[in-house]
Amino acid sequence: MLKLKGVESGYDLLQVLWDVELEVDEGEFVAILGPNGAGKTTTLRTIAGYVRALKGSIEFNGKSIVGLEPHRVSRLGIGYVSESSNLFAGMSIHENLLVGAYTVKNKQLIASQVDLVFELFPRLHERRNQLAGTLSGGERKMLAIARGLMPSPSLLLVDEPSLGLAPIPTLAAFEALKQLSQRGTTILLVEQNVNTTLHLVDRAYVLEQGKVVLEGTGPQLLSNKDVQEAYLGI
Amino acid sequence: MVTTSTTPAASAAQRGPQRLGLIAAVVLIAVSIALPFVPPFTGQDWQRYLVGAALIAASAVAFDFTAGYIDIVNFGFAAFMGLGGYTSAILVNTYGISPWLGFPLGALTAGILGLLTGLLTLRLRGIYAAVMTWFVALALLGLARNLTDVTRGPLGLAVSPLLATNDNLPYYYVMLGILIATLVVLTLVIRSRVGLAFRAIGQNLQAARASGINPTVFLVANFTISCAFAGVFGVFYAHYYGILTPDVMGTSHTIEILAIAYIGGRGSLWGPAVIAFPMYIAVQLLKVQLSSQPALYLVIYGLLLILVMLYRPDGAAGVIRSLGHRLDRRPKSGAGPAGASATPTPGATA
Amino acid sequence: MTTATATNLKQVPLLRRYLNLTSAILVVAAAAMIVVSIQNPSLLVNTLATGGMWALMAGGLALVFGVMNIPSFVHGDLFMVGTLVALFVFTPIQSMIQDAPNDFVLKWLGPFAGMILAFILGAVIGVLMELLLFRQLRRRSREQWVMNTFLLTAGLSIMFENVAMMAFGNLPQGISRYWDVPPIDVLGVPVAMDRLVTFIVAMGTLAVFALFLQRSRTGRAMRAVSMDETGAQMAGIGLTRIYQLTLALSCGLAALAGAVLIWLTPFTPTVGASPLLIAWYVVILAGLGNVQGAVVGAFLVAMVQQLTGYYLALNWVDVLPTGIIILVLLFKPSGLFGSEVKGVWEQ
Ligand SMILES: Nc1ncnc2c1ncn2[C@@H]1O[C@H](COP(=O)(O)OP(=O)(O)OP(=O)(O)O)[C@@H](O)[C@H]1O
Ligand SMILES: [Mg+2]
Repeated sequence: MLKLKGVESGYDLLQVLWDVELEVDEGEFVAILGPNGAGKTTTLRTIAGYVRALKGSIEFNGKSIVGLEPHRVSRLGIGYVSESSNLFAGMSIHENLLVGAYTVKNKQLIASQVDLVFELFPRLHERRNQLAGTLSGGERKMLAIARGLMPSPSLLLVDEPSLGLAPIPTLAAFEALKQLSQRGTTILLVEQNVNTTLHLVDRAYVLEQGKVVLEGTGPQLLSNKDVQEAYLGI
Repeated sequence: MVTTSTTPAASAAQRGPQRLGLIAAVVLIAVSIALPFVPPFTGQDWQRYLVGAALIAASAVAFDFTAGYIDIVNFGFAAFMGLGGYTSAILVNTYGISPWLGFPLGALTAGILGLLTGLLTLRLRGIYAAVMTWFVALALLGLARNLTDVTRGPLGLAVSPLLATNDNLPYYYVMLGILIATLVVLTLVIRSRVGLAFRAIGQNLQAARASGINPTVFLVANFTISCAFAGVFGVFYAHYYGILTPDVMGTSHTIEILAIAYIGGRGSLWGPAVIAFPMYIAVQLLKVQLSSQPALYLVIYGLLLILVMLYRPDGAAGVIRSLGHRLDRRPKSGAGPAGASATPTPGATA
Repeated sequence: MTTATATNLKQVPLLRRYLNLTSAILVVAAAAMIVVSIQNPSLLVNTLATGGMWALMAGGLALVFGVMNIPSFVHGDLFMVGTLVALFVFTPIQSMIQDAPNDFVLKWLGPFAGMILAFILGAVIGVLMELLLFRQLRRRSREQWVMNTFLLTAGLSIMFENVAMMAFGNLPQGISRYWDVPPIDVLGVPVAMDRLVTFIVAMGTLAVFALFLQRSRTGRAMRAVSMDETGAQMAGIGLTRIYQLTLALSCGLAALAGAVLIWLTPFTPTVGASPLLIAWYVVILAGLGNVQGAVVGAFLVAMVQQLTGYYLALNWVDVLPTGIIILVLLFKPSGLFGSEVKGVWEQ
């Protein structure tokens, strides 16, 4: 479904990604792991069109998406939930969801999608008229994911849903992602929380200094010596 | 003036361009001193243009001191000039003090108003300051129009001359002296540690704040200094032209200064000074030639401003600088004098 | 200030949030207006009519700042363009009306032609500005964007004004009245038809504008862009289209205001200077980028102007608001309605 080949990318003065190869198949739940500054966020931003790939190809359903503007990428069915959520602080939860469904023209479809994400995140339903700017950190993450789900993307890119969250909300966020995956959404997740993530996902890539250094299924990586040493503290 | 280290990007390692700049500055000053003896500048009309050019050059330099370094547009610059001018004119007329004493007094009032405006607006986003200075300018303009007892309103206030002569030449040298002093003082400030803080703030307010600089203090200081200089120029304006009307404070006067500052090149100080001479004189000639279309020169200012903003944000100074770098790099020996005489030509001929 | 409270009716939280200085000022203003309007009803009529137009100006200015971060200095010149369009469209219509005084459709609806065309031309100019200027600048660099766009619009403003001066001269050219009918009796006060229509057009346009921003998909997208561009792009909103729409809407509204108000402010090249200044007063007073606050603030400023002009003298009209703004900035630096939650239209 998503295929990155030899992708190099970065910012004005600094190249961050070097020859990244990555693949996500339909229905898969894949994670990117790695230390701070490895380029995980940059990878997602490059796929989503916020950072332009300098080299290499990015294909989605067989079509190249390199150089597309972010909103075009989004309209192809690639949802992106960023590290900082990028919520609309002055809008209510409900309105945030409505904006999330901007590309959906059918009102009924929007309503049923709202019901669906409220079912997934009952807490958002309770507070649907509260301003997004006044939500707690955990609620923000939930809203960010919920908003990303509104146009029913076929692929969801999620950047560190656990960032800044206490263990219990983190588990809730992971639980929601798991449910989503079981309902058939393809997910590419970026996480620091290596242990939990590897138990959750089908496959994972380990990114270090902008290069993919390891790749394998969850159990494979869990039993890998390097991973155990570097990330699991064993 | 003294050049390259005022470029944000310049590094101390570039000795060559630095020397080039110094030579260029000396040449330019020599040219500006000798200019009134070169035809056609020997005529009184032309010398009047020279005085006007030096005045607007100094104004643009002081304007650039805030606009180019802390990224605050003083949209009421002309009103601060007018305040200085009116202060001096009224004091001279009422108490018979010497017009020369008007300079510090005009600087004082304009500086104080600048300080108050700065204190009020500079802790807010930069655009507040731009718009508020505009408001303050319009309020001052309104006061000058309405307080007819003191200012005689639109009729204009007659002001006693600075020098006991009608000859433009001595006025030119006074104004040239003020211009050079302004450039030297402001360049020294910019090159000091304080100037470093200005630039840090202008480029990234948040980062400057994070690195422990208290931006408001520097912003207000910069703004106050620039306004005080505006007051000085206003005093010269009043005692040179001999009449003050509220129009001197108008937005279009500010825009003229602003256009020259940005076309000359923001954040360079010398760029506006160099470009002011050819531009101001060209505009005066245009005005004489096309007296049926008095608005045309403003259209040209507007167009140039837009083009500079879009395509050459560093203005004429940027163009000259890159020319200088190129000249400096090419011939290994003897680059200094040859390069220097070539560099300032755009400003010196005209 | 009936309109101010009407706008706030649905937003009880807003009122509660500002139950301090802001609401005190609003209450005092309302009281002052009531007292004054009992004494002199025409002041109320003028406040509502001009206030409505300033609201269109200020609302557009706030919108462009909120969505695109552009502090427009050229906004007043679109007002000027509006007066020009009205002049050129209505003058032939006027002679047609004189030729056929019994054609009621022409007589009653004819004047609207100029207003509608002014809106359209304003919108077109807005789109062109985005295409030719702001997009180019955005491509080059987004550094120091606010100041650069301010200067860009300042340069544009000089050009507009002086080209207009070269083309149409310096003398005022206006339309003394759109509707040549006797004043209409509104609750015992005779109100000229033009004033009444100005008020109705202002209220109608503001209502549509508000509904558009709050309820429509595109209006919501505009507000989304103003709050978080990245977030908006994630939702599939194309920034370019929103930018164009924003400028079209804002410039169109300014031109509309000019066309509607030409009976009060005849065309001169600098006729936009005062509306621009007022719009900026309002926007600073209300808090940058806050459209809702700008609408309320417009009526406040219109009232201050009317009161100053009536009790003091016309030439103080521009001086007094500066004093008030300085006071407001001293106590509430982010404006009367400014708050931490930034957005074009706060809930
Ligand atoms: N906008 C930017 N401009 C310049 N450099 C950037 C920018 N964003 C990130 N970088 C740099 O790119 C590198 C990779 O950053 P990235 O955000 O992709 O890392 P990450 O793997 O997501 O790290 P983390 O786990 O801390 O989120 C870092 O060195 C960072 O400093
Ligand atoms: Mg990251």
